[in-house]
Amino acid sequence: MRNPFLASKLVLALLISAALASGQTAPSQWGQGTSSPVHNEHASAPAPKHDISGTWDPGDNGIGQLGARAMPEDGNPQHQPPYTPEGREALNQAKPSNGLRSVLPADTNDPVVTCDPQGVPREDLYEMRTTQILQTPEKILLLYTFGKIWRVIWTDGRELPKDPEPRWYGYSVGKWADDYTLVVQTTGLDERTWIDRAGRPHSDALRVEERFHRVDRDHLELSVTIDDPKMYTKPWLALDKLRFDLQPANFDIREMICSPSEFAEYNKLVGTPASEKK
Amino acid sequence: MDRTRVTRNRPLVPKVAPKVAARLVFAALIFSPLASAQTAPPQSATSKQTNTAPAPAPAVDVDGWGPSTNAPVKSQKSAPAPRHDISGTWAPANGALDGGGFAGAKNMPEDGKPEHRLPFTALGLETYNRTKPTIGPRMVLTAETNDPEAACDPQGMPREDLFQLRETQIVQTPESVVILYQYDRIWRVIWADGRKLPQDPEPRWFGYSVGKWVDDYTFVAETSGTDERTWLDLVGRPQSADLRVEERFHRVDRDNLELTVTIDDPKMYTKTWVALDKFPMKLLPASFDVREMICSPSEAAAYNKLIADPASEKGPQ
Repeated sequence: MRNPFLASKLVLALLISAALASGQTAPSQWGQGTSSPVHNEHASAPAPKHDISGTWDPGDNGIGQLGARAMPEDGNPQHQPPYTPEGREALNQAKPSNGLRSVLPADTNDPVVTCDPQGVPREDLYEMRTTQILQTPEKILLLYTFGKIWRVIWTDGRELPKDPEPRWYGYSVGKWADDYTLVVQTTGLDERTWIDRAGRPHSDALRVEERFHRVDRDHLELSVTIDDPKMYTKPWLALDKLRFDLQPANFDIREMICSPSEFAEYNKLVGTPASEKK
Repeated sequence: MDRTRVTRNRPLVPKVAPKVAARLVFAALIFSPLASAQTAPPQSATSKQTNTAPAPAPAVDVDGWGPSTNAPVKSQKSAPAPRHDISGTWAPANGALDGGGFAGAKNMPEDGKPEHRLPFTALGLETYNRTKPTIGPRMVLTAETNDPEAACDPQGMPREDLFQLRETQIVQTPESVVILYQYDRIWRVIWADGRKLPQDPEPRWFGYSVGKWVDDYTFVAETSGTDERTWLDLVGRPQSADLRVEERFHRVDRDNLELTVTIDDPKMYTKTWVALDKFPMKLLPASFDVREMICSPSEAAAYNKLIADPASEKGPQ
């Protein structure tokens, strides 16, 4: 007899916690002929105008285990974000549980490890998986796999708020730069979040630009630029045309929600065995 | 004067700690049932409602962002409902507290009345007796609760409908009805493409949902495959893996939606019971920006340390 409880807990904990597991994203179990994401290399029909709606999958390229995909923390000097002194100091206070500066799981101060919300831009830069995009006349809604979190991008012409209450996901407005490219600006972000898995910092002055470009009917590219003059001397590119494949409209996105009680159990069983040696 | 604004006005708190203030406000919103009264749409003292004019109405853009939004005036005559369409941004018609569920499922509150006693099976009663809620006749101290949601575990289904049901966006696609909740910013999909509920699926916090139109204005969703770890509601009513939830969304007219939730769990209850009975929701303008409200474990810890459990701090060390 199976133990669906424990199995489910451990599968999700593994998906969330372990870098190695990320290649094994289990297929969505439900739906019609949609057992695994579709990946189309070929050119497809032209993109519809002013339309990025659909269910999109980036494969394994959105995981970001070493930090922002276009700027991984891999020791390559070219992948060093242009820190200000304050930025450097903030980076040194971040203790990621992965990458070159990795500490033991018990010693990390990564807010996501305790299931705090990822916020923007980390939702794009870490565990970016199948993402559903809905459009209405006023707004675009992003539905992420990780955290089963939604976020709104207003496209009704409103301006970004002045001096808003910080939010985990900030305040976002978008404009069509051309028929196939939506450019989104986000501000009002919560300083407690990290930009990525490697602990890159941001301040309340952070401004994130997301550029969604629909290449053709079946492909979407996302570029993310970080602009935070307190932490960085100049803007830098965190995602460079991350490619997504369109999925069938009946694709059922797997549930993947960070649960503090699951994490506690996972850490007890798997994550920190050394701590039990005492 | 706008209470929500005042309580969230940064100059009123020490300048060194805006983050702490924001954390505490959000924690208070999430963890304190009493504080949630403050998130009701602020009523402008100067706005005048008349029976004839649809506007002006009290401003409800509590986040202070976006075009000025107006709530429908209660006496306003609505237009007929569109067919097969429950899309829109909906709010509890009688204020945010109405969807709070602070005594448990609104239609079956834990208030000691015999008619609100649930038809527990023996297992149901036993499971119920093991839950330790933070509110109601069986309440325990915050530090002693085993409410999974107190630790910021997902609410799951059906609790997402029965506790802190607030502004809710519904978006329809040809294949599905997507529900976007305010609380925890959770989205969920109800498939309306004719698929069947899965047999013996991996449990999910939010289960598996399918729905169909039973008439032009009524969409009925069935959910199964939910996770046994969640509670049905804030007062700790239990659920088993056999739980089946029916949600009935009935659009009364353009501006009004009613939600009825029925619980069917033969392991825990001897018969089905109605948890929400035609819960009224009203249409908000499409430009309404839903406030962010996400359970954060670090905020919960800070909140509990500072406010909810002051007795645990035994004076200066």
